[in-house]
Amino acid sequence: MAYVALIPLLPALVFAVMAPLSRAMRNRVQWLGVVGVGASLLLSIAAFAAVWPGGHEGEAVYHASWPIAQVGGVDLALGILLDPVAAIMLLVVTIVGVCVQVYSLGYMHRDERVGWYFAVLTLFTAAMLALVLSDNFLMFYMAWEVMGLCSYLLIGFWHEQEAPRKASQKAFLTTRVGDVGFAIGLAVMYATVGSFDFEAVLGSADSWAPGVATAVALLLLFGAMGKSAQVPLHVWLPDAMAGPTPASALIHAATMVAAGVYLVSRALPIFEASGVALTVTMLVGALTALLGGLIAAVQHDIKKVLAYSTISQLGYMFLAIGASGAVAGMFHLVTHAFFKSLLFLGAGVIIHAAHTQDMREMGGLAKHLPVTSVTFGIGALALAGIFPFSGFWSKDEILYAAWSHGHYTIFFIALAAAFVTAFYVARLWFRVFTGPVQNEHLAEGHAEMLVPMGVLAAITTVIGFSAPFFSEFLGHDGHWPDPAIAIGSSVVALCGLALGWWAYGRRHLVLNTRSLKQRAGSGYTVLEQKFYFDITYDYLVIRPYMRATEALSRFDRDAVDGAVNKVAAVWRSAAERAWSFDGRVIDRLVNESARAARASGSALRRIQAGRVQTYQRYVLGALVLLMLWIVVKGA
Amino acid sequence: MMQVGPSAFLGLAAVLFTLGLYGAVARKSAVMVLMSLELMAVAVNLNMVALSRFVTPAEMTGQFFAIFTMVVSAAEIGLGLALVLAIYRQTRSIELSSIDSLKG
Repeated sequence: MAYVALIPLLPALVFAVMAPLSRAMRNRVQWLGVVGVGASLLLSIAAFAAVWPGGHEGEAVYHASWPIAQVGGVDLALGILLDPVAAIMLLVVTIVGVCVQVYSLGYMHRDERVGWYFAVLTLFTAAMLALVLSDNFLMFYMAWEVMGLCSYLLIGFWHEQEAPRKASQKAFLTTRVGDVGFAIGLAVMYATVGSFDFEAVLGSADSWAPGVATAVALLLLFGAMGKSAQVPLHVWLPDAMAGPTPASALIHAATMVAAGVYLVSRALPIFEASGVALTVTMLVGALTALLGGLIAAVQHDIKKVLAYSTISQLGYMFLAIGASGAVAGMFHLVTHAFFKSLLFLGAGVIIHAAHTQDMREMGGLAKHLPVTSVTFGIGALALAGIFPFSGFWSKDEILYAAWSHGHYTIFFIALAAAFVTAFYVARLWFRVFTGPVQNEHLAEGHAEMLVPMGVLAAITTVIGFSAPFFSEFLGHDGHWPDPAIAIGSSVVALCGLALGWWAYGRRHLVLNTRSLKQRAGSGYTVLEQKFYFDITYDYLVIRPYMRATEALSRFDRDAVDGAVNKVAAVWRSAAERAWSFDGRVIDRLVNESARAARASGSALRRIQAGRVQTYQRYVLGALVLLMLWIVVKGA
Repeated sequence: MMQVGPSAFLGLAAVLFTLGLYGAVARKSAVMVLMSLELMAVAVNLNMVALSRFVTPAEMTGQFFAIFTMVVSAAEIGLGLALVLAIYRQTRSIELSSIDSLKG
């Protein structure tokens, strides 16, 4: 079973091979990414077969651990833990990963940095697989951060333009806010248990002090909210649509944003030990599901609609986990991963064909993009929750979980969100595929783009029927949908679709932006401004921060630089004084003594005339003087 | 018989020394200067012999010294004449006033 470790290692190896190559070389070996993720897919299928038929919750089929470091006598380890949840996630990540990679071969083939795109995409997949397979929170956190990095690189892939650059920074910084909570949560956890292992931490969660459990759970939830774009940390995801569309499909729909949900479901025993944290999770999810859906209903950019829809659906998952329906949440995670990546890939084809992302400039694409319109329609129906497509089953389970655990308010919020979802789905589909044709030269996508979409559409169509078996695979009681709830939610979804058709699908548009604005008044403005989150952050965080940095820079310029300059000036004048002292006094002393030596030398040289007899005269004179002195003194 | 005392010897020596000193200082020819130097050495020798004879007659110190001095001055005059010859070959002159290449 050691091959399980290869599942994340192979794509990581592909990245390690591609990263150091030159750009031209890397562009030539872009298929390596497909090979790496494809190999992971095959190994994941093998791993899934090994886990089959599942049915044991939290029990590892394979568990291995390699210590990498020792801190304070405690081993820090990289570990592989394969259990039913991980096996399912592996399949989801690798299937979507392969589809996106194959699709990207067609979508990105004209980009001059396509090799780097594939390298990062592969590293991202490797990190997600490592996260899914990790057996301790520390490795989980490491993989989590690598994904954050890859997300940053992919969102900012076209960094020549300003919007992707800013979006990548926003995504990185916003998720970082959540990550700080995650990191503090890990620290508290380690202080409490002295270990990061899932087994040790989750096994002892019951015995923690309730306050500690609540604190850890809420901090982990905060991290998950950042990664999974939950209100109020959701603001990065819509902007992240500035990245390449297939990357959005992989990262911002299917996998990375799912990491937050996966974290909460992994750490569920802590949440259950707390209780309060579970309620908070539910409330955050319900709020996000409704707000995301409402905002999506007024967006014009096709990718932004999908982005807000992703936020809304992730809210659904949090809601489900909070409402004690963790299995339902995980199932929605799986179905959503497939149909949302399908929708994003379809959006990619539409954007390629129409050369715009604005839905108001599209229309009548069904005639030109037959395959896309059908596959996109399947994804849209799944998102709206229409039988028999996958979204119907998972949404139904979530509603059932909320109802059966007595969360009636939450149930109706979820139902309202489902209605809004159906409405904007219909709005999206009818606006894009029906109505007047606005562009005659439209081309269907390449085969390598359409085949992955077909695969995802097929999975979306059939995977819903596995709903009861999914629960059993995870070790819970499986059941078919409750008829009353199923019929109720279907009616609501159909009403939403009908409203969307009434407004946007008929020959003449009943609602356009202007008439909607007139009818809805200030309510529309609130939606258009996305509930003022961005503006609030701008005023509360970004502007004060900028002002603070400006004040600091002024302080630096005036006070710090001023002091330095002052010291320099004083030093300089002292140096000038020393220089003039040196010139006037010391040099003069030296020069004068030299001149004196020279003068005395030229005076004395006359005595040495070279004539022996002159010297003799001196000696004679000296002798006379000496004798006189002796005579005088002696007397 | 007239007693010849030491003062006669010392006086003669003084006259000889003064003549030599004058010659050494005043003559132009190098050979004459050398001869004057010999004169001064002779005066000194005379002094030593006389003083030895009159002051310490039992000992012969002065006489011995005189002999030493004569040997040394013979060697000295040999060296001096050799120098004079060498200078003459260079400058065709033995006038001391023209020998001044060691001036400062």
